[in-house]
Amino acid sequence: MTEPLTPTALAGQRAHPAPGGPPGGPHPRLVPVLLLKHGVIVRSQLFKVHQVIGNPLSSVERFSHWNVDELIVLDISRGSEGHDLRRDDLQQSYDGDDVLDVLRAIAEVCFMPLTFGGRVRTLWDIEARLAVGADKVALNTAAFETPELIEQAARRFGSQCIVASIDAEKTDAGWEVRVDGGRRATGLDPADWARDLERRGAGEILLNSIDRDGAGQGYDLELIRHVTDAVEIPLVACGGVGRYEHFAPAILDAAAAAAGAANIFHFFELSYPQAKRTALAAGVPLRPLRLGSKYLPREPSYDRAREDARLAERLRQAEEADYPAAQPAAAIKRQPIRWCSHCTYPSISAAPMEFDAAGKCTGCQMAEVKAAIPPDEWARRTELLHDLVERYRCRDGSRHDCVVAVSGGKDSYFQVHVVKEVLGLNPLLVTYDGNNWTEVGWRNMVRMREAFDADHIVVRPSVETLKRLNRLAFQVMGDMNWHAHVGIMTVPMRVAAERGIPLVFYGEHGYLDLCGQFSMDDFPEVTYRDRLEHFARGYEWSYFLGREGLTAQQLDTWKYPSDTRLLELDLRGLFLGNYVHWEANAHIKLVTERYGFEISEEPFDRTYRTMSNLDDMHENGVHDYLKYIKFGYGRGTDHTCKDIRASLMNREDAIELVNRYDPVKPRDLLRWLDYVGMTEETFDRMADTFRDPRVWRHEDGRWVRDRLERSRP
Amino acid sequence: MIAVIDSGLSNIGSVLTALRRIGAEAKPTRDPTEVAAAGSLLLPGVGAFGDGMAALRKHGLVEPIRAHAEGGKPVLGICLGMQLLAGESEEFGMHEGLGLIPGRVRRLRPQAGQRVPNIGWCNLQVRTGAQLFADTPADACFYFVHSYVIDCAVEEDAAGTLTFGDDRATVAIERGRIFGAQFHPEKSQDAGLAVLDAFRRIGEALQ
Repeated sequence: MTEPLTPTALAGQRAHPAPGGPPGGPHPRLVPVLLLKHGVIVRSQLFKVHQVIGNPLSSVERFSHWNVDELIVLDISRGSEGHDLRRDDLQQSYDGDDVLDVLRAIAEVCFMPLTFGGRVRTLWDIEARLAVGADKVALNTAAFETPELIEQAARRFGSQCIVASIDAEKTDAGWEVRVDGGRRATGLDPADWARDLERRGAGEILLNSIDRDGAGQGYDLELIRHVTDAVEIPLVACGGVGRYEHFAPAILDAAAAAAGAANIFHFFELSYPQAKRTALAAGVPLRPLRLGSKYLPREPSYDRAREDARLAERLRQAEEADYPAAQPAAAIKRQPIRWCSHCTYPSISAAPMEFDAAGKCTGCQMAEVKAAIPPDEWARRTELLHDLVERYRCRDGSRHDCVVAVSGGKDSYFQVHVVKEVLGLNPLLVTYDGNNWTEVGWRNMVRMREAFDADHIVVRPSVETLKRLNRLAFQVMGDMNWHAHVGIMTVPMRVAAERGIPLVFYGEHGYLDLCGQFSMDDFPEVTYRDRLEHFARGYEWSYFLGREGLTAQQLDTWKYPSDTRLLELDLRGLFLGNYVHWEANAHIKLVTERYGFEISEEPFDRTYRTMSNLDDMHENGVHDYLKYIKFGYGRGTDHTCKDIRASLMNREDAIELVNRYDPVKPRDLLRWLDYVGMTEETFDRMADTFRDPRVWRHEDGRWVRDRLERSRP
Repeated sequence: MIAVIDSGLSNIGSVLTALRRIGAEAKPTRDPTEVAAAGSLLLPGVGAFGDGMAALRKHGLVEPIRAHAEGGKPVLGICLGMQLLAGESEEFGMHEGLGLIPGRVRRLRPQAGQRVPNIGWCNLQVRTGAQLFADTPADACFYFVHSYVIDCAVEEDAAGTLTFGDDRATVAIERGRIFGAQFHPEKSQDAGLAVLDAFRRIGEALQ
């Protein structure tokens, strides 16, 4: 039942009973906010810097497992560019590039109230969003430009679904409302503006603090109180949360009806349940914490018939070289590719990145931020790490102190060195064995238990199972190394969960390093969402069940610990790179001289570097060649970018290396074809069906792409 | 098969998504013949009572719904759909409803410090043995958006109540196989999906 709210209807009532007020009112809420920008979820800083988190669908689905009270999704896209996930090899995606297409797909996995905002200009915009699954619609700039819109919308759809969103910035005198994503000043005081919006029929206020955005220093409680004192309608506070303890004061001290946050929910496992637990303990009468859903299990269930048809269609395309069918909507998706003005990274990439106004990628931006971190800040971070491990260290000898995920590479050696020598922990080393070792890589891995006097578990799935997974993953997602990406992110966590060890160490956060996915203050940890979305591309082990006869038992290696177990153990997977200065070139000296790490001079076909990925001969080879087939770039690009950022290479030389190495068809392909029993022709045809239409054109029987050229011959 | 009444005044998309999620066979319809033939009926709705009844009358759905319920076949009203099951409503003047549940729809009575509409997650007190709540844990919360509630003439028809200040409001009903939920089960996660699931099973048991 809905009705327009009138001032009389509200007279004399307070919208936000203090906790312990009259019984029976609704519970206060804890609300995640997702920022959607051109098709992907971003992390925001001061309304200016936006780093890509990833696929909106996997984030929403994860929130559904955590039973969040309510969800706010804000579209902060600019200009006319549509929404695009930027790659077609993902299991979870949406069709179309309109915001309504994204919203419709979100509504399919969202069983909680959903507020949708951003770029809402007309009554029709509101109606369209409500029709595809939003429960409430938020208006911001449009409310400022045409305040009557709020009145008309409340009359037509009911106040309960009209949210007025206010972005406020601190000034010398108080606060000022800004519109247009914070770019335009209005001269309005947020409390006066909120009162006006309430009078016009808004049912709720969403208040965001621009200067606190992404800072992680806590809410601007004075601002929140300033506005809650002025209105009767409920207020959702947003902006500034960096720790779970930050939520409660917004409700208890500043009388907000709901405490919202964006960034924090992306970076930590079970962040929402943990935040709720903390706020409940602080006395906020939230809805009780519940984990999991009987109807929406964490491991996705796949539409078998649909997937069978999809696979059969791909096999047909490969068989008949039907590339127009393999590149649907090519005309729509093809767009000029840009390259970072500083390194060689393209705008269409496997790694999520953005460019700033000057055309510099987030990877370069973050590398600069990282390089500017002074020694005393690294000291503070190491101190943080010391405090953290003290909480998890074993006190009674019943288990190892921590697990270290190792591949036997130079980074693994450095990690174990830090864990043992700097932190003084007794680790259990855990390795996933994907059966693709180089000889020197294998020797380095086997040597670790001796070099470090540490226990070492190597998990070695059946070779026959691996062959099947190689073949299947190649056909399904154009990447045979699914088993390795997922195995590495699963096995160490699983061993830790089974042995009751609450701490797992990984090395660097790959995406932070490569494309600046997070800020250096985010301290991202291992999460199920990140594992499923980025490492598994939405394909959980259950996808392969029954394909090539694979059973649940055979797929056991790739099963992640349950959420219940993760919460009970408070299991955390940390990336050492967030706490310890990571200087790959300096590590080599240490690990060779002190621990006997064996350097390989054996060159790879697809990169000039000889140090990386010794644990998996295909990682720099076939796997990377497939990345080139899909996106038009490979390891040559990845490695030159890192060297440019480390000031070891200039861009002109890098471009030459990229153009030399990226297109090379590697020799390890022969081993792989022999391993899985496939002809090269079958491989090529299948690979061609994965060419991304954003990059590749099929012209006169040849595949063509735009490439980066040197500015001087 | 659950026929979901598509009168043009509801969040039918969310309701259908939720029914798909619990594995129910469901179909949106505004065709009186299909309504008459359906095993179970679901009547969603948002908006004002008068508009809701007018939409049902416009599509010739009033009689088929009444006949369906009086024939002992399961029907579930959600939010405004539950209110429409009542005899009458006082929202914006007096209106006649479907008359399947003796009672009258009236406005919530807030105390100081409370507000109408009541929007958010609320706990409810469930009547022991209520079929819709067979799988609902005692502390389950549901999502509400409403200003009006039903006063049942027959106290036994009330299956769930909400304490709203000193107002005891009926927010779920069961009378034979006529059910109602004032909250939004399609937006209440597992607690809500379990209610829809219970309704699905009641229908399937009769097939």
